[in-house]
Amino acid sequence: MIAGAVCVTIFWISWVTIFPSDKTAMSMFVSVEELLDKQISKRTKLGGLVKTGSIQISESNQLNCDFILKEGESELSVRYTKTRPDLFKDGAEVIVSGQLMNGTFYADELQTKCASRYEGDLRNENNYKLTELVQ
Amino acid sequence: MTPLAGSVALNLALGFSIISIVSLSIYTSNNDERINLLGHRSALASSFLVFLSTFILSYQLMISNFDIDYVARYTSFETPTMYKISALWAGQSGSLLFWLFILSIFSVIVILQNQTKHHKLMPWIVISISVVQIFFLVLTNFITNPFKPTDTDFVIQNGNGLNPLLQNLTMAIHPPTLYLGYVGLTVPFAFAFSALVNKDLGSLWIKSIRRWTLISWLFLSIGIILGGWWAYQELGWGGYWAWDPVENASFMPWLTLTAFLHSIIIQEKSGMLRFWNMILIFITFTLTIFGTFLTRSGVMSSVHSFTESSLGPVFLSFVFFLLIVSFALIYIRKDHLKSAKKIESFASREGGFLLNNVIFVVLCFAVFWGTIFPVVSEAVRGTKITVGAPFFNQINTPIGLILLGLTGVGPLLAWRKTSNEKIKNNFFLPTLISGILFFILMALGYDAYVVISFSLCLFVIIAIYMEFYKGAKSRIVRFNESFFVALYKIISKNRSRYGGYIVHVGIVLMFVGFTGNAFDIEKEFGLKKGSSEFVGDYEFLLTDITEEERPNHYAWISHIRLLDSQGNIVEDLYPEKRVYFHENPDINKRQPHSEIDIHSTMNLDIYSIFSAIDANGTAFLKIMINPLVKWVWIGGYVLVLGTMIALWPRKEL
Repeated sequence: MIAGAVCVTIFWISWVTIFPSDKTAMSMFVSVEELLDKQISKRTKLGGLVKTGSIQISESNQLNCDFILKEGESELSVRYTKTRPDLFKDGAEVIVSGQLMNGTFYADELQTKCASRYEGDLRNENNYKLTELVQ
Repeated sequence: MTPLAGSVALNLALGFSIISIVSLSIYTSNNDERINLLGHRSALASSFLVFLSTFILSYQLMISNFDIDYVARYTSFETPTMYKISALWAGQSGSLLFWLFILSIFSVIVILQNQTKHHKLMPWIVISISVVQIFFLVLTNFITNPFKPTDTDFVIQNGNGLNPLLQNLTMAIHPPTLYLGYVGLTVPFAFAFSALVNKDLGSLWIKSIRRWTLISWLFLSIGIILGGWWAYQELGWGGYWAWDPVENASFMPWLTLTAFLHSIIIQEKSGMLRFWNMILIFITFTLTIFGTFLTRSGVMSSVHSFTESSLGPVFLSFVFFLLIVSFALIYIRKDHLKSAKKIESFASREGGFLLNNVIFVVLCFAVFWGTIFPVVSEAVRGTKITVGAPFFNQINTPIGLILLGLTGVGPLLAWRKTSNEKIKNNFFLPTLISGILFFILMALGYDAYVVISFSLCLFVIIAIYMEFYKGAKSRIVRFNESFFVALYKIISKNRSRYGGYIVHVGIVLMFVGFTGNAFDIEKEFGLKKGSSEFVGDYEFLLTDITEEERPNHYAWISHIRLLDSQGNIVEDLYPEKRVYFHENPDINKRQPHSEIDIHSTMNLDIYSIFSAIDANGTAFLKIMINPLVKWVWIGGYVLVLGTMIALWPRKEL
């Protein structure tokens, strides 16, 4: 009986892995460069930085937001139309999931870097490097 | 000067731990009691040195000594005192020191409690604990030292301060609670290991660790529930569980530990499952280390970032070391682990427990599979495939429901063998009533999982009720007691059994809450002052938007009047949009934060988020209607109550 239960569950886990019921259950993590080169139209997940000054929020609907995702040298314009996370801003590290259509990436999920890994940089308005003091 | 003392204390602690291991190993071959004493005392000395360095770091955090990198990174002058202390576990090196601190407390308790009681088992118990201690001492001494001085290149006027999201009471106590659970598991692990080395494999070691195991389980459970509660209240996405690797890391050992708590009952009763219990406790302990590895090494963001921090490889090596040593020892002792008896029938309490164990482990494996899948896919195929919450939900829902069903079936089965007649008698009532509910819900057209879940919940509740009723009734008949006196007596005379049933009730209530997820409604929209919008059966009227400046943030407050379908006022909700550090000239340092507001009833939660406001004064809101969420928290309280009853000390006879 035990062996039977184990077999059934292994079968079940493999089944869900191969045929997930929800399209958002799995997404391929690719680089921006790869996405643009291959013009992947399947659902993908991308990581990068929000290009400084690129955030444009629609006048008529605050939920409509366009921005440019930068990963290394590659750039991609992204459209997101849901509530934005609090940590979303210029230069923020984000992960978006969605699909590429006509050169724009339509994201339905936008995550910012997790709060529990808030490792601040010591460089801020109070603190400065000694070398900066010399100049 | 003092920071140096903290660092030196950590160095010395490492030295004493090594002395402890070496001398206790020598003792096991020459039996010289003086060496034994040296080993124990060195272990105590090591623990006290860890206490010292933890106090030094806490003190440095309190006095804002920004010459220490850790203090400058996680606190500032403005950080409230309470959060200056909680910053001890906010960052990596501090949390590792904190882990070590708790382990050292436990080590001292174990040594003082058992030195004479378990004289024979103690050397290997202390050795096992010391090995774990050495691992964390190596990390804090050589890899990520909490006393590292600030980069000499920098002039630090003020520290960074603690992330406002973490400045919350729940978030201050959530990590220590989880850690108490995690670290507490070192003790059962050490007892198991020592029992195995000493070939003392009866139920003695199991009896001595029952309490430790249950306390660890309690803290782990509270930690997990608090984490969900915090996410629900603070993170503003309307849910409490996202199957994030960090959450899974705490859930996996909880699953195997729950299995262990059930299977040791069988070993205590009949001496069976010795082999299995050893494997379970070793896996559980390894999973706690693996969990820390998952959350601390950066392996989840990418396999490639894994090697950037030296923490990852060291953790992984320790995980493999633990697995190899534990399983090699189990293999060597396999003949001693054989049980004389075999399970007689699957339709027995033992059979139920065994199946429950298999399913807990399977569930743990499913979570494990989903958690490491991105890493595996990246390593094997070169592309990283991430799996989201729908994947976990799809896999785990049926497995969870089977477990829920077993919670009800278990108590209805007799030990050793259940006669067919007894099966008929015991199962008739719960099956009948929950069967009726099943067909009613089916007829109402609910989703299959919802119908099954609610029917099973009712089945389990009736089964547990029957247990209480039967126990109480026999006392009423025998001692002529009133129902409540009899109920009190059966619980207090058999705390672990009835406490366990109460925990089951808690779990059932939580399942009721989980099932509510199936009915969630969500809507995002913009509103002008005076206009309204409908979501579900409710109307949301924006009556006003006000602004307020507070000590460390600026807030926009939307006033939402919640009306039911008849137009009656239900409640006014005030979700806020805040900007922390709003006076900071650098716009990038200001931090927006959405403070949600919830209208919470037994039936449903109405969850409101104020996402944004535009120049024309239109407020953008996100409303979620989450039925039955409150039952998750109520179930949590019941679970804690049940565990406390099971833990309550018995009067020594």
